[in-house]
Amino acid sequence: MNALPQLPRSICSGVEWPALPDDSSAQMLALQYQFEQSQWWSPERLQDLQLQQFAQVFQHAVTTVPYYRERFASWAAGITSWEQYRALPLSARRDIQQAGADMHSTAPPPGHGALVTTQSSGSTGNPLVTRGTAWTQLLWHALLLRDHLWHGRDFSGKLAAIRSKTEGLSAPSWGPATAAFHTGPSVIRNLTVDLDEQLHWLVREAPDYVLAHATHIQALAARSIELGITLPGVKEARTYGEMLRAEARDIVRRAWGVKIVDSYSSEELGYMALQCPASENYHVQSESLIVEVLDESGAPCAPGLIGQVVVTTLQNFAMPLIRYASGDFAELAESCLCGRGLPALRRIVGRQRNMLVRPDGVRYWPSFPAQAWADIAPVLQVQLVQDAVDHIEVRAVMARDFAGDEGQRLIAAFQACLDYPFRITLRRVDAIAVGAGGKYEDFVSLLS
Amino acid sequence: MHKLAHTAVPGSALQHVLWPAVPGTEGARMLAMQYQFAQSERWSPEVLAAAQFAQLGHLLRHAQATVPFYRERLAGLALDRPLDAATFSRIPLLRRQDIQEKFDALCSQAVPADHGQSYPGESSGSTGRPIRYLKTELNDVFWHAFTVRDHLWQRRDFSGKLAAIRGPGRLQPGSGTGWGVSTDAAFHTGPVAMSTTEQSLAAQVEWLMRENPEYLMGIASNVQELARYCGRQGLRPSRLREVRTYGEVLHPGLRSTVRAAWDVPVTDMYSCREGGYLALQCPQHEHYHVQAEGVYLELLNAEGQLCSPGELGRVVITPLHAFAMPLIRYEVGDYAEAGAPCNCGRGLPVIRCIAGRVRNMLRLPGGGLRYPRFGEYQFGNFEAVRQFQVVQKSLSDIEVALVVARPLQPAETEALRALILKNLGYPFNVSFVYRDAIPRSAGGKYEDFRSEVAA
Repeated sequence: MNALPQLPRSICSGVEWPALPDDSSAQMLALQYQFEQSQWWSPERLQDLQLQQFAQVFQHAVTTVPYYRERFASWAAGITSWEQYRALPLSARRDIQQAGADMHSTAPPPGHGALVTTQSSGSTGNPLVTRGTAWTQLLWHALLLRDHLWHGRDFSGKLAAIRSKTEGLSAPSWGPATAAFHTGPSVIRNLTVDLDEQLHWLVREAPDYVLAHATHIQALAARSIELGITLPGVKEARTYGEMLRAEARDIVRRAWGVKIVDSYSSEELGYMALQCPASENYHVQSESLIVEVLDESGAPCAPGLIGQVVVTTLQNFAMPLIRYASGDFAELAESCLCGRGLPALRRIVGRQRNMLVRPDGVRYWPSFPAQAWADIAPVLQVQLVQDAVDHIEVRAVMARDFAGDEGQRLIAAFQACLDYPFRITLRRVDAIAVGAGGKYEDFVSLLS
Repeated sequence: MHKLAHTAVPGSALQHVLWPAVPGTEGARMLAMQYQFAQSERWSPEVLAAAQFAQLGHLLRHAQATVPFYRERLAGLALDRPLDAATFSRIPLLRRQDIQEKFDALCSQAVPADHGQSYPGESSGSTGRPIRYLKTELNDVFWHAFTVRDHLWQRRDFSGKLAAIRGPGRLQPGSGTGWGVSTDAAFHTGPVAMSTTEQSLAAQVEWLMRENPEYLMGIASNVQELARYCGRQGLRPSRLREVRTYGEVLHPGLRSTVRAAWDVPVTDMYSCREGGYLALQCPQHEHYHVQAEGVYLELLNAEGQLCSPGELGRVVITPLHAFAMPLIRYEVGDYAEAGAPCNCGRGLPVIRCIAGRVRNMLRLPGGGLRYPRFGEYQFGNFEAVRQFQVVQKSLSDIEVALVVARPLQPAETEALRALILKNLGYPFNVSFVYRDAIPRSAGGKYEDFRSEVAA
């Protein structure tokens, strides 16, 4: 007897297949049905539909959101072309924060369901309070389900998540995004628990999938290698919420023999991009938002160039964000080989404050993979902080002090990685402070 | 998942949200079903069979527990274990005569409440053996879902106009704003225009030219006459893209007649009232794919074994979700030829062609032609009638051959005559003859109406 594929859950007596799901699951599958089609559409068709949907958002925004009523007064006739769209001014995070309640629609459509308030962590400790609706929540879940389906996850498996803002708990299912299917259990642990304890917890729980911030997964995998601990049942490591370093994929593969699947999301915008099932590109979730990557002059970046990420929400009618400069920077990819028409990002490089500025004016997002320095001294974790245009402090978590010429060799290694002879000061610390939301940044510039 | 061919955006019920659409409850159910269909049609035959037997297990346990007829018939089966083809094939075939004689015993005594209301229906079948059956609203849900699958497979433009010519009594002639409940739940559709085979051919053609639809749907033999008529007159509805046929086997040459007259393809379907959709035409070929999500369909050769590709056999169906009146291994009365696996990528079993009912046109005393209807859907109410064949002997004489369980009472004979005359619409002389059996014609087709009047 052949094993059955994963079938949706049926609520009808005696009918297992095809499943007759409950109403909310039917909506979820109706969205998946549409996603299955739209992902293959041409970029032109996707843009046509986006523009039609944006016209709805724009009309609603200029008539019911005080902030936009004023800001877009000269566009009151509506937006009917991409030229008009690209002429709309950007809104920065601080604009949204300052506008406060003026960002809220005075007439959110009742059919979109109850209002939901979220607070983004903000790596600078400066939170952004946003509003969504039951509909935007459903869409968030639908895109998470798309991620599961893209990557062929076995719903019968166990999911282990390490998150901030949570107590340890266990649940019989994976949660609302997968409610249309029968799933295995999930367990959750707070990320502030000691790393070794987390590792032993993972060994005990023996999950099929591990979900955590990118750097946290990387640290867990590195520690696994050090301690000789394997997680033989794990099928995939899922990461979110932080910039994923290329070396993390390699470390996880060496530690557990599995791949990382990353996602790009934020509290205020939901899923912006999901990793392609066939490559390491990130596909923009065009059904939910418009994502632009713009250069310093505000023009669209060509593939291969890094620019700021500017986002418009297409489904949030409680607090629409229109041409919102999120503060992230990303590189646009060429069209993806998988054939999907959804635009692709090659990588998300981080925020302005993660950008290095050299005395000669050159600016870039630095990379200093552990292979280049980990063998020099027993450094458990590092953070580089640029506090002057020619000076960087390297904060290192170590079990002991530097010995012999370790310090000099480390400095030389980082100078080589950064491709500039910065003055570098080493400082041994007990721990590296994480930002709000438990996010860790390995490079921070205090100059921006 | 395979790329879906159709790109229509469903209708959205949520204010300000055009795309992706958030349909209403019925629309969401419809798309949830299409989502599953889009996957299951790509499964391997082995996986499809596994899903079918899992569902058949539910049906058989229900039948054994709540249907008197099956309590005995399924008694020897170990239904607490996963069902397989070998076990299933040991169940005796259900014949039309069984349904004619044991209707009450075939009805479930405990139809699940969430399958909706049960309702009765009649089917003349394709072999002139009328039966009554019982269905539920759940069966309608699946009917609608397969209707929409057909649209999606054939990539129909939902904004186009659909013109349907039905048999008498099926739908009121007229027009409407959507294609019907199946499609309108999930998609915005163009208008529909409806006519009936009761109209003369000339009137149907005039109507067709006036409506000028994108899609024409009709009974195969009636469509063929329309196409011939239009071909002779050089009439072509300029917007017509496709002709859809149902209800009968395709006459040889129908596709080429339609192509010659209107330069459009014919898409056929295979369905029956009591079993729902059995097979839909492949989007890339002229053969049919069994709708395996709704029916387990066997083609059995003379030895009772499953047919190999190229072999003609009896059609035996088990609708997977018929919980009001389970039809388990039901011999429909048609013959069909098994096909080889299709290269379109769908794993759904292939039927190369179907030998079911074929009908001549009725020749009217005034010289016209009409698609014949003679009240056959009410023949099931005459409990003694097991099989029938109506033969037009001359422009004024109709002979009704009957196979009966017992001779009809005079009152029954008169009621049957009245029913036939009312439906034929002309004061023919109707006579009855009794037969032991009514055979199929060469080629396996059954003529429930035959005209012996020379053209």
